[in-house]
Amino acid sequence: MLSLKRDKKEEEDGGGNPFNNLEKSTVLQEARTFNETPINPRKCGNILTKVLYIINQGESIGQTEATEAFFAMTKLFQSKDPILRRLVYLGIKEMSKIAQDVIIVTSSLMKDMTGKEDQFRGPAIRALCSVTDHSMLQSIERYMKQAIVDKVPAVSSAALVSALHLGKGSQEVIKRWVNEAQEAVNSDNVMVQFHALGLLYHIRKTDKLAVNKLVSKFSKQSLKSPYAYCLLIRIAAKLIEEEDAGSESPMFDFIESCLRHKSEMVIYEAAHAIVQLKNTTAKDLAPAVSVLQLFCSSPKPTLRFAAVRTLNKVAIKHPAAVTACNLDLENLITDVNRSIATLAITTLLKTGNESSVDRLMKQISTFMSEISDEFKIVVVQAIRSLCSKFPRKHNVLMTFLAQMLRDEGGFDYKKEIVDCIITTIEDNVEAKEAGLAHLCEFIEDCEHTVLATKILHLLGREGPRTPSPSKYIRFIYNRVILENAAVRAAAVSAIAKFGAHCDDLLNSCVVLLERCQLDTDDEVRDRATFYVNVLKQKQKALSSAYILNGLQVSVVGLERALHQYTLEPSEAPFDLKSVPLATQPIAEQKVRDVPGEVPSSKPTQDKVAASRQDVYQEQLAQVPELANLGALFKSSSPVEVTESETEYYVQCIKHTFNNYIVFQFDCTNTLNDQQLERVTVEMEPAEGFEVIKYIPCPLLTYNKPGTTYTLVRLPSEPTQDTSRKHLSDQVIICSSNLFTSLVTGTFACVLKFLVKDCDPQTGEPDEDGYDDEYVLEDVEVSVADHVQKVMKPNFAASWEEVGPENELEDTYALSNMSTLEEAITNIIQYIGLQPCERSDKVPEGKSAHTLYLAGVFRGGHDALVRAKLALDTSGVTMQLTVRSTDPHVSEVLATAVA
Amino acid sequence: MPFFDALARWLGMKKKEVNVMVVGLDNSGKTTIINHFKSPETKNHDIVPTVGFNVEKFKSKSLAFTAFDMSGQGRYRNLWEQYYKECDGIIFVIDSSDKLRMVVAKEELNLLLENPELKNRSIPILFYANKMDARDAVSSVKCSHLLELQSLSNKPWFICASNALTGEGLHEGVDWLTDQLKIVLQKKKK
Ligand SMILES: Nc1nc2c(ncn2[C@@H]2O[C@H](COP(=O)(O)OP(=O)(O)OP(=O)(O)O)[C@@H](O)[C@H]2O)c(=O)[nH]1
Ligand SMILES: [Mg+2]
Repeated sequence: MLSLKRDKKEEEDGGGNPFNNLEKSTVLQEARTFNETPINPRKCGNILTKVLYIINQGESIGQTEATEAFFAMTKLFQSKDPILRRLVYLGIKEMSKIAQDVIIVTSSLMKDMTGKEDQFRGPAIRALCSVTDHSMLQSIERYMKQAIVDKVPAVSSAALVSALHLGKGSQEVIKRWVNEAQEAVNSDNVMVQFHALGLLYHIRKTDKLAVNKLVSKFSKQSLKSPYAYCLLIRIAAKLIEEEDAGSESPMFDFIESCLRHKSEMVIYEAAHAIVQLKNTTAKDLAPAVSVLQLFCSSPKPTLRFAAVRTLNKVAIKHPAAVTACNLDLENLITDVNRSIATLAITTLLKTGNESSVDRLMKQISTFMSEISDEFKIVVVQAIRSLCSKFPRKHNVLMTFLAQMLRDEGGFDYKKEIVDCIITTIEDNVEAKEAGLAHLCEFIEDCEHTVLATKILHLLGREGPRTPSPSKYIRFIYNRVILENAAVRAAAVSAIAKFGAHCDDLLNSCVVLLERCQLDTDDEVRDRATFYVNVLKQKQKALSSAYILNGLQVSVVGLERALHQYTLEPSEAPFDLKSVPLATQPIAEQKVRDVPGEVPSSKPTQDKVAASRQDVYQEQLAQVPELANLGALFKSSSPVEVTESETEYYVQCIKHTFNNYIVFQFDCTNTLNDQQLERVTVEMEPAEGFEVIKYIPCPLLTYNKPGTTYTLVRLPSEPTQDTSRKHLSDQVIICSSNLFTSLVTGTFACVLKFLVKDCDPQTGEPDEDGYDDEYVLEDVEVSVADHVQKVMKPNFAASWEEVGPENELEDTYALSNMSTLEEAITNIIQYIGLQPCERSDKVPEGKSAHTLYLAGVFRGGHDALVRAKLALDTSGVTMQLTVRSTDPHVSEVLATAVA
Repeated sequence: MPFFDALARWLGMKKKEVNVMVVGLDNSGKTTIINHFKSPETKNHDIVPTVGFNVEKFKSKSLAFTAFDMSGQGRYRNLWEQYYKECDGIIFVIDSSDKLRMVVAKEELNLLLENPELKNRSIPILFYANKMDARDAVSSVKCSHLLELQSLSNKPWFICASNALTGEGLHEGVDWLTDQLKIVLQKKKK
């Protein structure tokens, strides 16, 4: 009775989950019951379930605790109770990654896997493979091979899938199972056939020719399993993609033939594959689209859903193909399944013309409240692309977005709307004021701190530059009164920006900020105090550096540098210049998800993750010879210095330090009958550069990448060497080309190594080797390697801050450029600075444009570039103005373009 | 069938259950010995070196044994102790033809005897001087000298020569162990 009552209570607050509120330590304590003899299967099963539950809830268990629980669990092998035994298998799989000495269960599992109980055999194989490490693989190999061809499908499947998992660690061993996998492909069981094909593909994956053969073989010999067919279609599609082929590929014929398969699953997979292909003509698409069209009117909701979802994805890329289905999509708008209806409408929105927007938007609003957040997000994404397609429609769309902001919805949904409004504002000046107004209204009643702070930040950046900045201040100041500390702090920063940018608001902003100095929260008070003091100086340069443009170092780097400083305290004050800069993401991250493309894995830039460069800094510091070069200034993106599909594959990454460049060569040996030793890349340095050291890669075995470094000293150049400046005026009078030649150059590279031939089967190398070399492509060091991109949110303020002292100006004719966009792309690529204020985008139909670039030159000198571009009949003319805190940096940059 | 079990026990039919550990160096014949006791239909015909452990069940004349057949390879020996606590008896198998590694066996035995879980328990230990058929096998008496068993006083022990391939000597050992364990069980009851 008592327990009944408790259960009832738990049900009320835990939604009927008896495992709610489990405490890790209690559960692990209970797990000691496993040690008791005789075993009580019911009781132990229950406890083990709890252990599994907490692990699956993401509870982290320490190694010692896990090992204790694991060993206790091994004692349950005494019991033959089938339920308990199968729970033990699960337990082994879950704990195999956290506990120590898990191989202790190997023999017990091997016994079960070869035993008489069929229901134990499959799961035992899976558990066994999860505890097996590389060194043990040999000893289970024989049993795995037998299991793969076992006549019980569950056993065979388990072995095949486990082999796939093992293959991630060591391709070599499972390669020897290829005959068994071949045999299993002939199985009558649909799952076994599918899994066997998966394994075969995995084994041959790296050998394109073999994959080709695989597909053509199985596309002829008709497979029983529709799952296997689907896999084959995917492989074929991938091949077409990799070869950049189109419908002329024999693979395409195969996929197309699958459109006439009897299984709907296969037909759909084929249609899906065809419409996703890159190089296709309308004619190639037609049969696939008609299949999807047919599915649109299928009585099965899954088929309708699959079809409309696929059409939705390709709508932007193949609008014509999708418009062919418009009638069917229109019918789906009223589908009882709201997910289908939403997808149908958003697809129509993507392909429709400007005139249909109003009608469809109205249609959506009738059921917005009935669909889940996930689909609401799909709607927002459709609106986002409409905003950029039909800028003139921004009124309708903004209003709709504002309405959605007011409605109920979760964080992801609200975030998507806010992001959508923000991009629209940034792309379309005309939408700015309306958008900001909607966001102001939203933060009046916004429960998500993250969104509120994001919007306040945006208001601080954009608000001061609108015609009437003062109207935003009220909204912002309200937050200071009503919100939590994080939001208050963001509001304080925003107010300060208005004060820094708008002279007429300065005094009132200072008054507001002074009030904030009485805040209860430290952070808010600190910020307010800081801003009040900076603003009261009334110096534009100060305000620009400390309020409008802010700190530009890498947060992770700063943390590390400060930690280092506290470990080795010194008299000298901490030098902020020693901290690496925050790197701008290499590719502009704002590639708004072009609907129709395969959804790119969304960059999660919000977190303070260690950037790529922080990772490099860490890696280089591990190499003793490279540990004392100072702070890493910049790492280039990798460049291939070999042709693809040659004997050796080499990529080069340039790491710039204050006085050195480290060339990192990532090499892969693609010959399975060779082992390379003492691999280096010998470099013929450009004038002024000097090779200091080669750090060889000791061993390069087949297909295992290795790294060798070449350390080069940079020419002692004018930007650093002030003594030289005084020594002789001639140096300065010297042609300015000197400066660029001293930072740029071309390096000839040769890969040198000792080759040992080896047995391709065993990988066993010969005793003796011989020296050999391989010529690589030249590596260029350009101006871009010496500068780091820095985003200046308020470029004009920075421009004033640096001042005209070291300004250089010149006019160039870029006669081989025919558009402004082309000129801009080239300038950015060559100078390597960060475009600010979205000046890299040229508004449509303009013939003159100004590009703003900002960054820092090696050694910590600010570098700003303003390029006024004009298009005329003879090409593009450019007036280039460079400002820097160092005169030589200006020269280097000014001559870079010439 | 809890009712049946209870009935059987009431009638004194159900055999008492005991846990024993089978330890010893690798290749000494532990798995082969246990295999000999198993019923013909569960017998294993393909014995490979044990990795970790295996649980096996067999019956003697009045007890039901659950045996933890441990791996004797060097890298697994330190894992034996994980199973000491719950065991009622120990079977220590020696390859009596492997004179070279007799000192290693002695070392492992000492570690076992010194283990805090076992040190102060009067737990019975059965020694099999296995592979008595091998040409250069030493006698069980010689074996007990080499292992200095005479100094082992706080635990009941017994050594007998055995041949796991034919089964010779195996029952003699298990009978002794059964008697010892029954005494222990009796004491526990009181
Ligand atoms: N001649 C002979 N050979 C035996 C005897 N007992 C076992 N063997 C052989 O010795 C080898 C090892 O036997 P196992 O039972 O695997 O040894 P183990 O102690 O279990 O070894 P691990 O599991 O590695 O610790 C096998 O080839 C057996 O056939 C015996 O009494 N006489
Ligand atoms: Mg064994």
